[in-house]
Amino acid sequence: MCASENPKQPRVTRLVGQSMPTLEAADKATGRVEYMGDISVPNMAHAKIVRSPFAHARITSIDASAARALPGVVCVFTRDELLADPNMETLYGFVYRDVPVVAFDKVRHEGDIVAVVVAETETGAEEAAELVDVDYEELPSVMSVDAALEDGAVHVHDEFFPIAPELRPRIGTNICHEAQITKGDIDQGFAEADFIYEDSYSAPPVQHCALDRHAVIADYEGDEITVWTNCQSPFPLQREIKRIFGKEARVIVPYVGGGFGSKSRERIEVVITAAAKLAKRPVRYIMTQEETFQTFIRPAYQSWIKTGVKKDGTIVARHHIFTVDVGAYAISGARSANNTLKVATGPYRIPNAVVDCYAVYTNKPPSAPYRGLPTTQHTMSYETQLDRIAKDLGIDRLELRRLNLVREGDIHLTGDWLRNAHTHECLDQVTEAIGWDKPLPPSDDGKIVRGRGVASTIKYTLTPPRQMSENSAEVALGEDGIFEARFGTVNIGQGSDTTMAQITGDSIGVGLDLLRIVHSDTGLTPVDSSTTASRSTYHMGNALVDASDKLKQQILAAAAPMLEQNADKLTISDEGISVDGDPGNGLSFDELVRRNGGPFAAMGECIVGGTWKAPDGNEYPIASTFWTFASCAAEVEVDTETGEVRLVSAAASATTGTAINPRSIETQLEGGVGQEMGPTLFEQMVWTDSGQLMNATLMDYPLPTMQTMPHYEPRFVEHPFDGGPFGAKGMGEIGAVIVPGAVLNAVNDATGVMFHEVPLLPFKVLEALDSHASSEA
Amino acid sequence: MNVNVNVNGKAEQRDVAPTVKLLEFIRDVLGLKGTKEYCHSGVCGACTVLMGGKAISACSTLAVQADGHELLTIEGLGTPDDLHPIQQAFVDNFGLQCGYCTPGMVLLTKSLLDENPQPTREEIIRYMGSNICRCTGYAGILASVEAAVAQQGS
Repeated sequence: MCASENPKQPRVTRLVGQSMPTLEAADKATGRVEYMGDISVPNMAHAKIVRSPFAHARITSIDASAARALPGVVCVFTRDELLADPNMETLYGFVYRDVPVVAFDKVRHEGDIVAVVVAETETGAEEAAELVDVDYEELPSVMSVDAALEDGAVHVHDEFFPIAPELRPRIGTNICHEAQITKGDIDQGFAEADFIYEDSYSAPPVQHCALDRHAVIADYEGDEITVWTNCQSPFPLQREIKRIFGKEARVIVPYVGGGFGSKSRERIEVVITAAAKLAKRPVRYIMTQEETFQTFIRPAYQSWIKTGVKKDGTIVARHHIFTVDVGAYAISGARSANNTLKVATGPYRIPNAVVDCYAVYTNKPPSAPYRGLPTTQHTMSYETQLDRIAKDLGIDRLELRRLNLVREGDIHLTGDWLRNAHTHECLDQVTEAIGWDKPLPPSDDGKIVRGRGVASTIKYTLTPPRQMSENSAEVALGEDGIFEARFGTVNIGQGSDTTMAQITGDSIGVGLDLLRIVHSDTGLTPVDSSTTASRSTYHMGNALVDASDKLKQQILAAAAPMLEQNADKLTISDEGISVDGDPGNGLSFDELVRRNGGPFAAMGECIVGGTWKAPDGNEYPIASTFWTFASCAAEVEVDTETGEVRLVSAAASATTGTAINPRSIETQLEGGVGQEMGPTLFEQMVWTDSGQLMNATLMDYPLPTMQTMPHYEPRFVEHPFDGGPFGAKGMGEIGAVIVPGAVLNAVNDATGVMFHEVPLLPFKVLEALDSHASSEA
Repeated sequence: MNVNVNVNGKAEQRDVAPTVKLLEFIRDVLGLKGTKEYCHSGVCGACTVLMGGKAISACSTLAVQADGHELLTIEGLGTPDDLHPIQQAFVDNFGLQCGYCTPGMVLLTKSLLDENPQPTREEIIRYMGSNICRCTGYAGILASVEAAVAQQGS
């Protein structure tokens, strides 16, 4: 059980609460850290993937004979090898078995995997890949949700194989999941409303652009399959590899150079393992940057929101319908859509609400989460509509929010009793930080106009439908007198090793010098569900607290007879085990292990889900183990001659619970804001009508740079969260989630034009300003 | 073709094909993995190294173009136990998260400070704007460069 279920237990904090650079910072600053692309294993061959040039096509023939004949080619894995192997499953996937190990009948998006060429060298594999002759019969494609939902639209998948019980496909359509969540009586709510507002919003796909490209090394030989990968979910991947190949597997994840959701689930690990089986030797594959754009993307999003309000601004009803373009395979998109049903109405008291979600297959690349998506797009939708309502009713934008924001103990859309819901404090922090009441700099001859906007949000974390443990951790004391924390969290740059070291060190009572970290290796670390959804600090932190407490009990029980004392008279510190009131009497850790006859180790876990007993004595469902609330205040400049929007300043605040590493939290907020300003202002992926991506390289796809960086004002509201490790909860994504809403509201404040879509490309801004001016005239 | 280079103070001579990029030469021929690859089109700056003291993208440079030049890669600047002041500034000021862009950012900073020991904030932003970081939002990197500048002035 979670040790944290006993929050009364006093704890001395020496590491928790300290701002400290990551343990690996010096290794990273000197280029010593190994990422996937830096790893090689003996006798390794190199792979290149042959990808579909079409968005949707039937494969009529594959002739790899010329490629196989090229000197230096080890093997070519195609559908023929897949279908000839009776000991290999053909389909995989977490929520639907909809992903072929390698395409065998059809390709469903540009870049779909058709063959893997393995050669002695990378250039040899590239040359041979050019020689694989694939004939296609091109099929009509559906490149948008609207096209996919039309009557008579071509079906991306003919059959559905859902394996996640919460997912409900509509057979005979491209809808792979539809769901609804309701609260109160929506009809009565709208009947009571004095005013009703309806708006539509949209956001196009973007790519995560994690600099460390997807890569994998697979070794099929030996007693177990070994896979090195930069996937964010090593344990689910291990289970899937075992299922597909019917053989034990070990998945090792090194340091990862950013993920942001793009590496949440596997896409290349399975097919490269299949190629390694055929090659009978280890195979390495590293994607190009262009290929990452064909692998996982943030899905297109559309929403329609209808809101009923009273004259005083009180929201009484909300109907929110949204679609998520999951792309060709529902690896992540359907579940992301389903999860964000929980937060679609935002951090507001809305007594009557209905939210409908539709996750739809198209012929785009598979979608993946992207730092909180689609909570980000929900927030953009309901926050910009809220500003429209404020303007229309003549109510101050902040007052309208303060009137409707949830408070501690409110019952959420999901039926949850909201805890640690310091929404008003977040809003106050960001408006103060940005100087909301201070006058804006005057406009320079009317050319540059300035404005401010706010947005608030609520974010869930992944939570099982019933009570269970989704992750464990182990803490051990070895013969060298060093404590080792073993856990599955993937270090993707978020500082997890350091956070976990701070939690473990304070749980045991020792400093960082006595700690060693072992992370994300299914052969060495206990099971974890994934490093996603801002879940690691809470979940793995709790498991480490639990493991540390158990280890301490073991150590003290073993030391007591050696020191001829009761265990409750003993204290653990950097010096070892000492006897209270008897300095000089004690044991060093290595001596303890020696006299014990071997090392100590203890497992801990974190149980989540089920129900929670609230102060009113009733049990409430736990739709999210914790809820994170946040606000953003943005200040923008709009150039009315060029249409360019500049984010000048952004204040962000989140309810973090106890800040384990305060500066690290601030840098997560800065990073989230800085990343999301790209999709807000200028990033978008563009396809031709027939499904070819037009901007797959950085020369055509601009990213934020230091020159587009806003001034940041990161803040956090630090009330310990009952249940979190030392009172902490997760916040890795929330900085991004609040950006588009705040920026769109600021642009509206500056120009009087409310945009209903991102990115705010200059030509679109100019068009809107022109049509606004002519309608005013 | 024969390539003679001085890499991190050490003379290296290798025979390479004329099509080999400097990035592959550094990573695969010399085995110096601290120089990173992402876009392979000269945009992101993950592969930044100093050639003759100037920051260049190794992915967009041929190995033969480095013939007769001095190269500095991240391996030549400092070690975890003996950090160069710029690296220390990145560690102290949270100038890195995942660390993948960091070798390039550190070397770009070195190039900047060698050219212009006391840059203004605007000069730093213009210069450092050529490299991409996806984690930090650049705030920590700007603070790191400014700290390195301040230390140099002291």
